[in-house]
Amino acid sequence: MDMSTTEVRPARTSLLSSPALSTVLPWVVLAAIAATLPLYAGGYWGVIATRACVYWVLVAGLNLLVGFAGQLAIGWVALLTVGAYVTSVLAAGNVLPALHPYLALAIAGVAGAVFGVIVGLPALRLRTFYFAITTLGFATIVRQIVLAWASVTGGGVGVPGPVFPAPFDSQWGFYYLCLIFAAVCTWMTANIAGSRFGRALTALRDAEVAAEASGIAKSRLLMVVFLFSGATAAIAGGLFASLQSYITPDAFTTELSVLFFIGVLIGGRGSIIGPLLGTILLTVLPEFAAPLVAWSTFLYAVLLLVIVLAIPGGIAELIDFKNRRPLQSNRAIVPRPDLLKRLLTQDTEPGRLTLEQVALSFGGVRAIDGLDLTINPGQVHGLIGPNGSGKTTTLNVISGYYMPQGGVAKLNGVVITELAHHARAQMRIARTFQTPRIVGEASVLENVMIGGTIDGRGTFVESLLSLPRHRADEKMLHETAMLALSAVGLEQLAGVRADRLQHSELRFIEIARALMLRPAFLLLDEPAAGLSAEEIRRLGALVVAISQAGTGVLLVEHHADLIFDICHHVTVLNLGKMLAAGTPAEIRSHREVVNAYLGG
Amino acid sequence: MVLSIVLSGLAIGCIYALIGIAYNVMYSASRVFSFTAGTLGMAGGILGALFILKMGLPVWLGFLLALAGGALLGVVTEILAVRPVLKSLDQHLYVLSTLALALIVQQFAAIEWGTDAQPFPRIFNIERNSFDQQFWLPMLACVVTIVGLEVLYRRTLLGHAFRAIAEDNYAARALGLPERNLRMASYAIAGVIGALAGFAGGQMMLAFFDNATQLTFYGFVPVALGGMGNNRGAVVAGLVLGLFQQAANFLVGGVFASVAVFAAFILVLLARPEGLAGVALGRRV
Amino acid sequence: MSKMSITRRKMLASTGAAVVAAAGISKPAIAQKDPILIGYLPAVTGPSSSTGIGITRGTELAVEEINKAGGVDGRKLELIVRDTQSDPTKAVNATAELTRSHKVNIIWGPLNSGEALAVVPILARQNMVQLHSCWVDSLTDVKKYPLCYRNGPTNQQIGGAANRYAIETLKKKKVAVISDTTGYGTSSLNAYVPMIKQLGGEVAYQSSVDAANPDLKPEVLRMQAAGADVIMPWSVNAGFLSRIINTRGQLNWDVPIVGQTTLGSGQTQALLEKPEYWAKVYPNNFKPVCYDAKGKLPDRAAAFVDRLKANKIEMSDTLLWWIGVGYDAPFMIADAVKNGGLAPEQIAGYWNKAPRYPGVYGTVGFTADSRDGYPDNEVIMCEANSLKQGAFNLAPGYGAA
Repeated sequence: MDMSTTEVRPARTSLLSSPALSTVLPWVVLAAIAATLPLYAGGYWGVIATRACVYWVLVAGLNLLVGFAGQLAIGWVALLTVGAYVTSVLAAGNVLPALHPYLALAIAGVAGAVFGVIVGLPALRLRTFYFAITTLGFATIVRQIVLAWASVTGGGVGVPGPVFPAPFDSQWGFYYLCLIFAAVCTWMTANIAGSRFGRALTALRDAEVAAEASGIAKSRLLMVVFLFSGATAAIAGGLFASLQSYITPDAFTTELSVLFFIGVLIGGRGSIIGPLLGTILLTVLPEFAAPLVAWSTFLYAVLLLVIVLAIPGGIAELIDFKNRRPLQSNRAIVPRPDLLKRLLTQDTEPGRLTLEQVALSFGGVRAIDGLDLTINPGQVHGLIGPNGSGKTTTLNVISGYYMPQGGVAKLNGVVITELAHHARAQMRIARTFQTPRIVGEASVLENVMIGGTIDGRGTFVESLLSLPRHRADEKMLHETAMLALSAVGLEQLAGVRADRLQHSELRFIEIARALMLRPAFLLLDEPAAGLSAEEIRRLGALVVAISQAGTGVLLVEHHADLIFDICHHVTVLNLGKMLAAGTPAEIRSHREVVNAYLGG
Repeated sequence: MVLSIVLSGLAIGCIYALIGIAYNVMYSASRVFSFTAGTLGMAGGILGALFILKMGLPVWLGFLLALAGGALLGVVTEILAVRPVLKSLDQHLYVLSTLALALIVQQFAAIEWGTDAQPFPRIFNIERNSFDQQFWLPMLACVVTIVGLEVLYRRTLLGHAFRAIAEDNYAARALGLPERNLRMASYAIAGVIGALAGFAGGQMMLAFFDNATQLTFYGFVPVALGGMGNNRGAVVAGLVLGLFQQAANFLVGGVFASVAVFAAFILVLLARPEGLAGVALGRRV
Repeated sequence: MSKMSITRRKMLASTGAAVVAAAGISKPAIAQKDPILIGYLPAVTGPSSSTGIGITRGTELAVEEINKAGGVDGRKLELIVRDTQSDPTKAVNATAELTRSHKVNIIWGPLNSGEALAVVPILARQNMVQLHSCWVDSLTDVKKYPLCYRNGPTNQQIGGAANRYAIETLKKKKVAVISDTTGYGTSSLNAYVPMIKQLGGEVAYQSSVDAANPDLKPEVLRMQAAGADVIMPWSVNAGFLSRIINTRGQLNWDVPIVGQTTLGSGQTQALLEKPEYWAKVYPNNFKPVCYDAKGKLPDRAAAFVDRLKANKIEMSDTLLWWIGVGYDAPFMIADAVKNGGLAPEQIAGYWNKAPRYPGVYGTVGFTADSRDGYPDNEVIMCEANSLKQGAFNLAPGYGAA
């Protein structure tokens, strides 16, 4: 590794901004095929293509929800139903005077957004499986309500779908309308995928605690995504009603819902092109042989099972040629502590982080029993003790995952115990975890960029439309992340999928991610576990450099040598109580500590 | 009217409770919820009608074969949809694999058996009366299952092994318990219980492929409300659900009945996500 | 219950012949041997498949007979079948495939109102002639759908006969109207409730219930509580209807059931718990396919039954009128092509002026102002448990309409 250069070469790795042919080419091909379809395909395939576009409008939004956020919304056909009926009823003039189809469609989108939030609310409180079941329930309920509310929806009789005005009233005209919607949805969701929101979603999905530690507010972000997915699904519903030219409640079956859901999953999570190809595949598949139509849901399910068992990454994994290239086998992690000064610039004096008489019990077990702890900026404070002594629990109290029953945590004199755990990031308290929590399917760079999510200024809508502030955010995060990666010595792996990395490299990635917060306080939970001796040495140097840049570090560790080498202060815990505290020299010779923990 | 509500409510409640128990047994063995519980119920009904009505087998033989079919389905679920994904850290995969398998079985039933609800045979040749067999068969099945599971878990070595695997997986393996075989056996038992629910409830729910969807949802409600892995809670919740649903059906009917049940379910869950009798989520970090 | 296998005639491998056929040249010398393509949209699977199963038997027999006799001026009829699976969405897909991909000359079907409601406007936009046997009133409209023809009765005709029978002949006052939740069921309910009130009856109970609901006891109990003295079900789902009949029997409730023809089908009969439950069930049916007061079928129907037996076509698990309407349709189409031509305007032009076609199921004819071909006086009520080879006796007290 060339240690003399101080410039950092940026690697272009985010999902779709890569100039590499393999990412852009599929889109170009698809766009070309889609735009020129009328020239060579018959009217029948036009209908199929239109249907694929309409389904994709829904699936694009659902993709953010299921693929990125990991929310298993199996019953999303409920939103399609809402959108289809709102558009059709408003355009037909059953209740109010007939509205213009575009207006009806827009209102349907709003209705879908609202209803999407309603369906999504349980997701905030319920476990995965429970939420999946409730969405199924919602789908049934919507259908039942549509059936019963016959005065508005026509009940079992149904209602004619809207007809869009020229030039979209002919068959190919309507195809182009749906194609436009599909293209816009693709663009918007691709923008989100390549934004801090998309990364935040995958972080919530795969590494929820790490996401929250990076300051990502789960509820708000999820609600925004439910809103968006609901809106796109409802608009797809309006287009669907027009395609069908007449809708009845029977058209909105569980099979359709399953199709959408499976389309996302066989496409692969965290991808846009994958689910797009998946949706096209599922729409087109039953058309190739008439007998297949009856078996279509059966085949979708078989396909899903095969994908889950054999290629969980779906189509996206199949076409991810970039990550097939072998990695260098004898990689070394060589941190560049000199870069830390550029990274960890601080303007204000952060003050001290203190725990005062903190007490925490789990059931009958006293995990922490009256603990006092002070972390000063610019110092490394070690926390050691036997297993079960409360080390990680203490760290969790500081980072806000546990609310102590007694005592307070204070930052610069201000009590912070009551605040939500994702607010810690705002206070520039960053942490790593005992087991690395990373998004395996994302690249190393994307994982690190997650750490800086709260530094972005652009809103979700700005990202959706790729407005200037979004692009500025991305540039800033990209540069900062590369800087952080170079500081920990992993910049050459920036574009690699994180789950291909070794355990030790993941630990350093977590540190890089934490550094993105430009932390005033950095909490490290057993960062040396699983590292080789040389790596531990480099880790130590890195931690020292971090503290010298002004950050206060709390180091929870089992490696006594590391602790005694780099810590300014050491606190020893035993059974939740402080056994001893002092400088490393004092602790090393402390009789009780030696007996309880260090040994001979 | 009231008698009808009570009888059909308790009966259907027992069917839901049994499916809930099937969910729980699978959960205890593998820490995952399987979408196939409802499909097991459907299979019990369809296999019973197939063997007894279509193939003309004697009732006892049809019964045993239906239960065997359920056990087979359970084992297949374990091998195909659960075992391969347990190794993965990914939470969502088991939902998908079991969903896929449940759909495969359900669609196969829809295509081969037909999409119409077919009649289910009378088990005992007694005249219809108020307290008809279609009501007390599910209740009997529920009681037998509860008692059987109690005996199994508390009195037999096998049951103790099951409980060990459920309560502390690592310790059990360290002790040398054959985890995989025990899990397969648990899934087979869950299969039998699910098929029993479908068979005993066949006269009420008929042999219908869509029972799978109904039971997947309504069989899960007792689990959600009664607490994961809590069989007694499931039974109580199942009975309450059944009575509530039938009361709504008989008194109001139509869409309001299902909306009421569903709304109540969502509200209770939102208020107490772990269920009315469950334990709150433990340490995450 | 015998499962009907879907026989698919050859799918067109090339569209060449279809292109010529669609060119609309009447009796083209070059394309003399090209087949006449009939797109057929039955529901052979799904909850409303009772119609598709029965009608298809008649249609296939008719096409076979016509082709054996040399076709239409040497051109064979070719049936291109797509199962709608009782699903309006799939019906729309299938229609698109038949018209755009296979470029059929004419569409026969769909056979259920729910699917037809979706398909009829689409075909009108494509200028395709359509013949269907569905009953919902709005499914024909001379102005909106000039090329759409109905060879079956309308809901008004059916309801007229049934409601009048219940109120005027059986002298019942409080009607319980129950339908399934399909487009057909709901439209029928909506059409009949005012009709009943107009005839002086009272609607004590009305509800649309999911056909798949296994337990209709709550509904029947509520009918009883409302004091109903006649039940009128509207659905083509045999399971649903059988459950109504069974529940009435289990409760020992002695009220007549008057309603949809499917009440009398062999499929429904097979699902009854006890044969005696079928007493006092009076479905609609059609005079040309029912036994008269002397117990004899009209000649045409009798000959038809003989032909069915000769071809080993099953009648006991369905209704003779379904097989009949399925049989008559290809003959009507062949008649129009022979005398008018193949182009849509030619077929329509012929049908708008032609005399009534003497079919097995009825004498069907259209005019310039009407696309509803079935005559009023051939709609009658019959007695379900008199079923014999798909045909019935007239209902008791039923005079000539």
